[in-house]
Amino acid sequence: MNAGPNRVGQSGLTYFGRTTASISHELKNALAIIKENAGLLDDYLQMADKGLPIDPARFKTVTGRIADQITRADGIIKNLNRFAHSVDEPVKAIDLNEIAALLNVLSQREAAMRQVTLQVCPEGATIPVTTAPYLLLTLLGRCLSICLQYMGSGKTLTVKVTRIPDGGRIEFEALDAARLAAAANFPGENETDLLNAVGAEYHLDGTLGCMAITLSNR
Amino acid sequence: MTEKILLVDDEKDFLTVMSERMTARGMQVTTADSAQAALQEVESGTYDAIVLDLKMPGMDGIETLKAIKARNPTLQVILLTGHATLEKGVEAMKLGAMDFVEKPADLNVLTEKIKNAQARKMVLVAKQTEQKLKSILTTKGW
Repeated sequence: MNAGPNRVGQSGLTYFGRTTASISHELKNALAIIKENAGLLDDYLQMADKGLPIDPARFKTVTGRIADQITRADGIIKNLNRFAHSVDEPVKAIDLNEIAALLNVLSQREAAMRQVTLQVCPEGATIPVTTAPYLLLTLLGRCLSICLQYMGSGKTLTVKVTRIPDGGRIEFEALDAARLAAAANFPGENETDLLNAVGAEYHLDGTLGCMAITLSNR
Repeated sequence: MTEKILLVDDEKDFLTVMSERMTARGMQVTTADSAQAALQEVESGTYDAIVLDLKMPGMDGIETLKAIKARNPTLQVILLTGHATLEKGVEAMKLGAMDFVEKPADLNVLTEKIKNAQARKMVLVAKQTEQKLKSILTTKGW
């Protein structure tokens, strides 16, 4: 049996599980705030029933908070939907900027948990590449996790998308990428399988403190 | 008797609304939006119960629980978790949490747990005081 495809499948499933768990936690937080604000409105109504005067401005504040959390939850669901649809076609033509933007929204919570600011800088123009979008997302998510794990809190992780002749490049500027990669033994077998599956190459520039994934459109 | 509560969560909107609702129920609520801020509060104040979110940036709820218990073992901690599982609950209890509640929490259930926490803390503090008195009586020669 070929271990490669199995490992690729397992990596994809692991990323799926981790990402949906993170999204569900964020949704739970939004729902908790909505529930407590609804409860607070109920408290106000009970106070009014007892003849206590309630300033209408307090209702406005609470309904405003509920509306904000609904907007937040709606955004989370939209991102979850985009993530779910990334497996629709195993291989297709995509814009690297769009994958980086999806990686950004899916990874903000993970970065926040590590107390790192995540900043994604897209290229101005479309960068079309033909690849396996979900597996590419899994690979990029793995690169990002390694950077977050080893770069330390209080820093900024910049993910830059650039056009190169016949393709595109996604760079993770993590200050000390060489140390990060050495510490994590990156890329390991799983990441190497993912690189092969998406038709990408991995580069490490210790001087610039940058790890990069390059995809060719040839 | 007014319960003194320390509410710890990184979601500021959650702290605001919970604090308002708990205060309206006669509790005295202090809030902290990070583990570090919570530990500072624990150093400087006394609380009947600490309601602590399990998932927070930096130091998470379990690490914070350990740090709180190391500072004051009598403090009663109720963990708030996104997904209450038996595994997580057992882990939290082993580390000294009094109880855990799944988010979104039912405020009546949480209030009941806070009252239990207060009662349990009073028993622990009374036991500590009794032991201190016994120690004084056996070591001093009046």
